[in-house]
Amino acid sequence: MASSPLLVFSPKLFHRLLQLPPTLRRSLYSTTSKPEIYDVVCVGGGPAGLSLLSALRSHPSTERLKVALIDSQDLTTSRAASDTDVYSNRCSSLTPASLRFLRDAGAWDKVEAGRVQDYHGMQVWDGVSGSRISFDPLDGKNGAGLLDALAELVPGNRFRESRRQYGMEDKGVVATMCENQNLTHALLQRLKDTEGVKVLDKTKVESIQLGPEPEDKALDLSQWPIVTLPGERQLAARLLVGADGANSPVRNFANIPSHGWDYNQHGVVATLQLDHAFAELDRRMAYQRFLPTGPIALLPLPNNKASLVWSVTTPLAAKLKALSPPAFASMVNAAFRLQIADLTYFLEHVGTIDIADEFSWRLPNTSPASTGLPQSLPMVKAVQEGSTASFPLRMRHADTYTGHRIALIGDAAHTIHPLAGQGLNLGLADAQSLASSITYGVEHGMDIGSPWCLDEYVSDRWAKNNAVMGVCDKLQKLYSVQSGPVVWGRSLGLGLVDRLAPLKGMVMGAAGGVR
Amino acid sequence: MTDKKLKYLDIGCGAGIFAESAARLPTTASVTAIDPTPEVITVAQRHQRQDPLLLEPGRLTYHNTAIENLPQKDGGYNIITLFEVIEHIQQPSPFLTSCLKHLKPGGWLIGSTIARTNASWFTTKLMAEEVLRIVPSGTHDWSQYIQPSELRQWASVQPELEVQGAAWQVMGVVYVPGLGWKEVGGSESWGNYFFGTNSYSYLL
Repeated sequence: MASSPLLVFSPKLFHRLLQLPPTLRRSLYSTTSKPEIYDVVCVGGGPAGLSLLSALRSHPSTERLKVALIDSQDLTTSRAASDTDVYSNRCSSLTPASLRFLRDAGAWDKVEAGRVQDYHGMQVWDGVSGSRISFDPLDGKNGAGLLDALAELVPGNRFRESRRQYGMEDKGVVATMCENQNLTHALLQRLKDTEGVKVLDKTKVESIQLGPEPEDKALDLSQWPIVTLPGERQLAARLLVGADGANSPVRNFANIPSHGWDYNQHGVVATLQLDHAFAELDRRMAYQRFLPTGPIALLPLPNNKASLVWSVTTPLAAKLKALSPPAFASMVNAAFRLQIADLTYFLEHVGTIDIADEFSWRLPNTSPASTGLPQSLPMVKAVQEGSTASFPLRMRHADTYTGHRIALIGDAAHTIHPLAGQGLNLGLADAQSLASSITYGVEHGMDIGSPWCLDEYVSDRWAKNNAVMGVCDKLQKLYSVQSGPVVWGRSLGLGLVDRLAPLKGMVMGAAGGVR
Repeated sequence: MTDKKLKYLDIGCGAGIFAESAARLPTTASVTAIDPTPEVITVAQRHQRQDPLLLEPGRLTYHNTAIENLPQKDGGYNIITLFEVIEHIQQPSPFLTSCLKHLKPGGWLIGSTIARTNASWFTTKLMAEEVLRIVPSGTHDWSQYIQPSELRQWASVQPELEVQGAAWQVMGVVYVPGLGWKEVGGSESWGNYFFGTNSYSYLL
């Protein structure tokens, strides 16, 4: 912006000034303030960005780095809800590997423990063929799972209690359900406790540009990204981290293309009230049924609550959200329990039929064996007021995660179908890997924004993320088919996997996020 | 606290690859980097200006000079580094002696170079210069390569240097295509190697 008042009043002078050499022009036009220099500037205060900064603050080699966090939202209002009867509809299924990372970053102990729910198994079945697979840690590669099984054979054993008492990691846990805001709040609390992170929330990034050409012998920021904030405040980043979501402005600045497709589906979420807390011997289960329209999943929350994620076509999502709560609850029950033919009828007439009524007479006429229904599946009693919502489903993968002084993590790097609950875990794994590369760089005197430091991160994460996304995408496509050899093939596949314990262990290891 | 930090002298620093990484370490007090070629010093200084940490006063200083002309610094340097230098020196013994003048008692002289064997001629002269052309022809003069035993021999006759036990270190490294440089025990007798020699700390 011009700093001289003369330019406003005299067009001729203005024109003359434009003809001056660039260096002189710049000194007239540029602000007098120099950019503030930071080692890491993270754009995006979601779980990926927050966990990256927490990890950096928790390691002696990196805790003295000068870091800043920028987010357009108000992060101070992020607060773990206190009402134990009400749960947010945005929850994530955290794998044991993610939990280990969050513990190391010093954030997990700040999570509201009463609002998270471990679960110990996953019942998955194919809606069309009824073929089933159950992910059960006792069959897994985990040695501790075997210990549990053996301990159960001893009458009066106190194995489980003693493991809890001594705080041993419960190896039987497949994943842990946690509300996103619970996790975010814990991470923010961790950052506040460690101090030293400049949190600039409620702040919109106005622009990102490379620094100006240097004057002779002075500091040369021409290869540094400069983030301009409102009020002409500028931050120069040794490493600019884009944790800023699927439409990442940082990714656009770095000219990194991302490719993928839309599934023409929406994920419908809701918080549900169940007829019983489906806990047997302290073990809780998650349930997922593959329907032709998309998978429907029920994930346990504390007490009698559960989180619903149901992938449906976009018009169907709108119709479902418009249902009254009792009708919605019946619809969810129908989606888990009825034959596909019945369900198809429901979905085609969703606005016009009395779903609760239709469900009540069809259910007794549906044999559980014909649909592969797991015995322990609870019935949905009610939907939490105002908790139904939906978000579009798509797959995107950035061509690479790094550029000169740029790194992308989380949704900025990749977007994934929610069917395996992997999205947030991939973002946390990215943060862990990048923190590790930065730590290595600092310990070896590297410039952390240089390719030498960042290449390690890309080669660690890109292929792994690509593989997980590929599996989820193919699973989604595979289970969208209604009939024919593909259905037969996949039902055989699932059935075989169930009967081959070692193979199931390997698949479960991948689903459980073991690294 | 500053007394415990290390002062480095990087001889033949080139464009400053090692000098910069040493300067960034939290355990470093200062790095002085010298090279007789003015062009590389210009490049090094230009690159230095891209990192504000390296512009901190005294952290990293370049001099376009040869070691023989470097003025003596108070107390000398804790670590003197000579990476890929000695094989380019026609008279290595007096050269190394001038380097040694700047070493603080208890400090380390650390470098890297290439052994003088048929194998090293094959890899560094024939393959690197003529066939694959990774480096320009004439970069190396094979007759100037030095055996680790010859270096040790030289070190053992220097009164300031200790060559017994851990005070003399050699590490042979081999470039494995696709994997990078790997430590290979024993390869110092025929290939690239790092060497390190420690000066007696009880001397004033």
